[in-house]
Amino acid sequence: MSLVLVSHSKTLAEGLRDMVVQVAGEGVRVTAAGGTADGRLGTNAEAIGDAIRAILAEGSDDVLVLLDLGSAWLSVELALEELSDTERARVCVSEAPLVEGAVLAAVQASIGASLADVDAAAAGAASMSKAPGGSLNA
Amino acid sequence: MTVIDESGLHARPAARFVQAASRFASHIIIRNGEREANAKSLISLLGLAVRLSSVITVAAEGSDADAALASLSAELSPYVTLLEPAS
Repeated sequence: MSLVLVSHSKTLAEGLRDMVVQVAGEGVRVTAAGGTADGRLGTNAEAIGDAIRAILAEGSDDVLVLLDLGSAWLSVELALEELSDTERARVCVSEAPLVEGAVLAAVQASIGASLADVDAAAAGAASMSKAPGGSLNA
Repeated sequence: MTVIDESGLHARPAARFVQAASRFASHIIIRNGEREANAKSLISLLGLAVRLSSVITVAAEGSDADAALASLSAELSPYVTLLEPAS
C-alpha cells in the first residue's frame, strides 16, 4: 500500500509527507504531488499520474490517493484516465480530509492493511475530534 | 494490566502502539473508562480520548496474549506508570 498526496500547494504536500512518514514510519511509501509543474499553487495531472504509475510499476502495492479541495479532483480524474483498467483497479481515491486521512491511512498501511481497509481507515478522519473526547468547545 | 497515562497518547506513540499490537495474532483491546478501542486501529485508539492521568487497561486474548501484553507494556512504558498487572 502506498499513498499519493495531492494538494494545491507543493509545500503542503511535502510537509504532510514528512509528517506522515514521521508518524507511520519509513515503511510506507508516500509520494507528494502538490503544486503546478512550475511550483505555483494549483494541481498537476501529469505529476499525479507519474506518481501513481511509478508506484504501480514498481511492485504489487496498491495506491490510495488523498487530495485537498476544489479543482484537485479534476487533476486526479485526468491522471486516472491515463491508466489501464488493471492499473485503475489498484487505485482508490479517498474522500477523506487530506491531513488526518493521510495519517490514518499511512498507519494502517504500515501494518499491512489492504487498499479497502486503508481507505476505510482514512474515511474515519471525517468524524475525528481534535481534542480527546471532543472537549475544545465544551 | 492497569496503567496511568502521563502525557496523553498522541499520534506518533499511538501509531507505534498500533504497529506493535499488529505483530501479534491476539485480539487486543484498550479500555479507558467506558470506552474501548481496538489496539490495531489508529482511529479506534485516538477515539479513546486518553489524556494525562487517564487510567487505561490493556487486555489481550489469543495464542500470543502474554507476549503481546509484555511487548505492549514495554511500548507504553515511556508514557505511563504501570499500576498493576492483571493476572
